[in-house]
Amino acid sequence: MRSTVFLVPPDPFGVYSNPIGHWLVVVIAMVMLVFVLLTATAYTVYYERRVLGFIQNRPGPNRVGPLGLLQLAADGLKIAFKESFAPVGVDPLLYVLAPGIIVVAAFLSWAVIPIGLSDSFTYWIANLNIGILFVFAVGSMSAYATLLGGWSSNNKYSLLGGLRAAAQLISYEMALGLSLVPIFMITGSLRLQDIASYSVQLGPYHGPLPLIVVAPVSFVIYFISAVAETNRTPFDLPEAEQELIGGYLTEYSGLKFLCFYLGEYINMITTSALAVLIFFAGWHPTFGFLPAILTFAVKVVLVLFIYIWLRATLPRLRYDMLMRLGWKFLLPLAIANVVVTAVIVVAVS
Amino acid sequence: MSLAGVLFYVLALIAVLGGVGVVISKEPVRSVLSLVGVMLALAGLFLMLSAQFVFAVQIIVYAGAVMVLFLFVVALLGPIREGPSGPLKLHWAYLVVVLAPLTIGLWALLNQIQFRKPDGLDITFFGTVEQIGYGLFTTYLYPFELTSILLLIAAVGAIYLSRGGRSAEEEREGVEGRSV
Repeated sequence: MRSTVFLVPPDPFGVYSNPIGHWLVVVIAMVMLVFVLLTATAYTVYYERRVLGFIQNRPGPNRVGPLGLLQLAADGLKIAFKESFAPVGVDPLLYVLAPGIIVVAAFLSWAVIPIGLSDSFTYWIANLNIGILFVFAVGSMSAYATLLGGWSSNNKYSLLGGLRAAAQLISYEMALGLSLVPIFMITGSLRLQDIASYSVQLGPYHGPLPLIVVAPVSFVIYFISAVAETNRTPFDLPEAEQELIGGYLTEYSGLKFLCFYLGEYINMITTSALAVLIFFAGWHPTFGFLPAILTFAVKVVLVLFIYIWLRATLPRLRYDMLMRLGWKFLLPLAIANVVVTAVIVVAVS
Repeated sequence: MSLAGVLFYVLALIAVLGGVGVVISKEPVRSVLSLVGVMLALAGLFLMLSAQFVFAVQIIVYAGAVMVLFLFVVALLGPIREGPSGPLKLHWAYLVVVLAPLTIGLWALLNQIQFRKPDGLDITFFGTVEQIGYGLFTTYLYPFELTSILLLIAAVGAIYLSRGGRSAEEEREGVEGRSV
């Protein structure tokens, strides 16, 4: 049996072995992460609107700043200065708590996500043995945000949106978790660094192997479930405008509304980054010439493109279709995938 | 007190206060949320015992799935606030009668206990997914498999009971009739 609890981090100047230096490094890393994530979120929204425009044959935002690149700064300022309005009859504590939960949960997931900054230096805040389980644990907290936001708003549309969101999240969490079990069997680890750096020796080739080559079914199940978990089209029933106004978001405005949006987009980037780490060999060179950090970024942007492509292409599912897809198709497929992979892994070893 | 000691008392306090909150909240949603607080504090305590896998499972299963279902049902039932059903009589006396023997018994039980680390403890391996998986599929294989079968039976039974005694054909017709 292997024991891989502690990996030794690179320690260029001896800062890391000093306890105060260690905390300093971690705090600086966390602050940087928050800024990078906020910027990435803003540009994901911009990217989405531009790509949607491109697909729908219209320009998209192109007026604020060069190529419209400052659009999101303007939008953020505008929404931050809006009156933060709370309707009569809301539950005052839970109404404010809900947007907080979703933002905290979204940022916490990034504590365990490793990013290769160069070929020899990997960035992480916490290198947990249970890595990916921590992401799932934190991600499952965002169900509370939508459910509590919907319940506390004292509005029937909000409540229906919140209930839909909770049912959807619970249904697809099962398929999401099971879709990755074959990966754990193949790599023998739950630690994201190990999964991203999974290497093989195949004849002349020796190096990291993108796991999508050996587990394509897992990727399909993972991606469909991830789209459902982040409430994105075609699974955006919790905020279906034609039926529920804004769903659980109906009564939110100003910064609290912004928090929900921030959470949704960070979760989208998180699931894309996880897909890159698990299925596409993370920051390890695939494009050859790009440095590690850019390789990672380009891959995440490409996965995000699939998200936006789906949104531009597919109509929203009906509620019974959503449940049928989750429970009667994805879940049995995921279990069959686990069994088949288990047999193959045992046969090969 | 060490950092671990401070963390322990903070988490223990959250767990106890959450437990009290479950009982004294007048609103069901607040009760459920207090229970979520208890679950999260317990998860933190598991982590302090180096049980990383149990920590993750505690959050994913209890806080993330079971309590969300509780909250779902409570929210679905609507904002009915529970008032006292009648004036309570002698409740302080009952409290003392129940709590006093319990406290004395617990104190008598735990008073003589000496804590020590288990023998042969390898902290780099203890509580990891590998060790739990190894235990489940070697030493505890039969209890593990029997529990799985029990859970499967319970799940099938729950599905059968929730159909309300209707047959599969009636169920299908009912669904199609409603989806118009």
